Amino acid sequence: MNPKKTLLVSHAPFWHDGGGIPERSYHTLLAALPAACAGIAFYGAPALGVICLSISTAILWELLMNRIMRRPITVGDGNAALVGLLLAMLLPASAPWWVVVLGTFLAIVIGMQIFGGIGGNPFNPVVLGTAILSVAYGRHLDFDAGLVNFTFTAFASSTDPISALKAFGPEAVSHLRYLDLFLGKQVGGIGSTCGAAIVLGGIYLIFRGFIRWEISIAFLASVYLSAALFNMADPTRFAPPLFHLVTGYTLIGAFFLATENSSSPVNLFPMLIYGALGGVLTVLIRNIGAYTDGVLFAILVINLTNPLVDKIRPRAIGKAA
Amino acid sequence: MTSKKQLLFAYGLAIHLLLVAIICYAAFPVTAPAEPVRIMYQTTAGKVLFDHATHAGATGYSLSCFDCHHHPMGDQNAMTSCSECHPAAVEEGEQPLTCLNCHNGKDIRDTPILSRTDALHKGCTDCHAEFEKGPVMDANSCSRCHVI
Ligand code: HEC
Ligand code: HEC
Ligand code: HEC
Ligand code: HEC
Ligand code: HEC
Repeated sequence: MNPKKTLLVSHAPFWHDGGGIPERSYHTLLAALPAACAGIAFYGAPALGVICLSISTAILWELLMNRIMRRPITVGDGNAALVGLLLAMLLPASAPWWVVVLGTFLAIVIGMQIFGGIGGNPFNPVVLGTAILSVAYGRHLDFDAGLVNFTFTAFASSTDPISALKAFGPEAVSHLRYLDLFLGKQVGGIGSTCGAAIVLGGIYLIFRGFIRWEISIAFLASVYLSAALFNMADPTRFAPPLFHLVTGYTLIGAFFLATENSSSPVNLFPMLIYGALGGVLTVLIRNIGAYTDGVLFAILVINLTNPLVDKIRPRAIGKAA
Repeated sequence: MTSKKQLLFAYGLAIHLLLVAIICYAAFPVTAPAEPVRIMYQTTAGKVLFDHATHAGATGYSLSCFDCHHHPMGDQNAMTSCSECHPAAVEEGEQPLTCLNCHNGKDIRDTPILSRTDALHKGCTDCHAEFEKGPVMDANSCSRCHVI
């Protein structure tokens, strides 16, 4: 006599890593923490405030939705906390409290709960929330406008490199050293600038099997290749490929955003196509699009293609046609 | 399914972090320092970022405060916002009331006063032209200050 519940199948993701959702969430949280700490170390209390507010309101929004929709309380699985942390890492340290609260509302409620909670979301909730914020309240997500009261004497430039590139061309950012940018010496989001810490967390997640290297590597390789093509075509208008890898949301996008389980594919070819498409779109938007950083919109678009590319799968053995 | 322990952990996280967040936002608000670091002008012609600290700082262009804060010359009272005396919109022959803090209205009646935008444009670009560095007032240079 089995209890009825064991026969129920829940939403995607269906890929078994030997652990449960809580394990995945808390390990991802842990992996993201070094990059977030780099932001706190640099921006101090304001950054800590944004991160704490974001995590806690994300949990509270999910709890509220669970209650309203009379569904089992899911905040224990840690996914809401993870969404909160990642969202905070994309915001400037100057984000006002209501932007943070609105952001977690958009991510948790609009991005996830109305689709039935974890596993049902067609878009990465963090990306959806941040993208809506950046379209609706661009000034508060604009690093140059938001961070005017911070001094950046440790950095080679006191403006956001990716915005400077957009506004003034590659000449204006040619004095920046890639290693410095990779080590986080640049203006940007609380947890999105320190590439070294992000890559470290990403590698940890890949080795533990929580994210798939295929997506991250395909994303980064395709950012590199498409930026290289642009750069070869006209180096006076388009920045070198390495610059695109170490600025903006590229690295956090490759390791923490594009790899979100329920909005990304699971088979080898689909994963490669998905990641590569994201990279190409990122560079297209950055180089010839209207927005300064393409990562958010690129990821939303590849989230859309996910059900489609996921149809490319091995044929079942013994099945004709 | 999550265990009771995990649920309690999440509740604890939410409450404690909320407290820390409230303390951070209440006790350490991001306020503008008395002497600005950078100023972002949101204009109808795009945003303009003026790096005040770099223009005035010894590690930057080492300009004198009075190169820009020009009235009254050599007086600490001049370290105010330009819009105190150059209002956003000026009528021909009119002057802002702030003049009367220091002057008798009759003495200064004939002094024409620039609007805020004109004062900034002229103030910024005259100096750039003088140094032959930085954006000047020609059709190719607008976008070196203005970012759409
Ligand atoms: C290159 C020109 C320039 C130089 C040099 C300069 N300033 Fe300024 N300063 C400005 C401008 C422009 C503003 C903004 C005024 C506005 O927005 O109306 C400003 C604003 C200020 C304000 C804020 C006024 C307010 O209430 O908003 C203070 C204080 C100030 N400057 C002090 C100084 C001091 C002290 C120095 C010398 C160390 C200095 N400035 C050098 C151009 C300059
Ligand atoms: C306390 C009042 C006051 C403040 C503050 C002030 N100005 Fe003026 N400004 C004047 C007056 C009065 C004149 C006209 C008489 C003169 O040229 O000194 C003037 C004239 C000017 C002119 C025209 C000068 C010329 O050669 O025709 C410029 C440009 C200018 N101001 C720029 C600025 C800028 C930039 C700031 C802010 C950094 C500023 N002003 C702040 C009072 C002020
Ligand atoms: C903070 C006090 C203060 C304010 C506000 C102020 N002034 Fe003056 N003004 C002075 C002082 C002090 C002098 C004399 C020293 C000098 O020439 O710089 C002066 C001188 C002048 C002069 C004669 C300067 C010359 O070049 O011969 C004029 C004209 C003048 N102010 C106009 C104005 C106007 C117009 C305003 C309002 C937009 C204004 N002032 C606001 C303090 C002020
Ligand atoms: C008293 C002189 C002076 C005034 C007034 C001044 N600047 Fe400058 N500015 C400079 C100099 C000098 C440089 C060039 C430094 C260099 O390139 O080494 C410069 C450079 C710049 C640059 C280019 C920076 C870069 O990295 O290429 C910008 C943008 C700029 N200024 C904006 C402004 C604005 C906006 C104002 C008016 C609010 C202003 N400046 C007023 C002296 C001035
Ligand atoms: C040195 C930097 C600089 C350059 C070069 C410059 N501007 Fe500006 N401009 C400013 C600043 C600073 C303001 C903001 C003034 C304000 O807030 O009142 C401004 C404001 C304006 C505004 C007013 C917008 C509004 O909201 O009222 C217009 C229009 C404008 N600029 C057009 C131009 C054009 C056209 C050019 C090229 C010929 C140009 N500017 C070159 C710095 C610059």
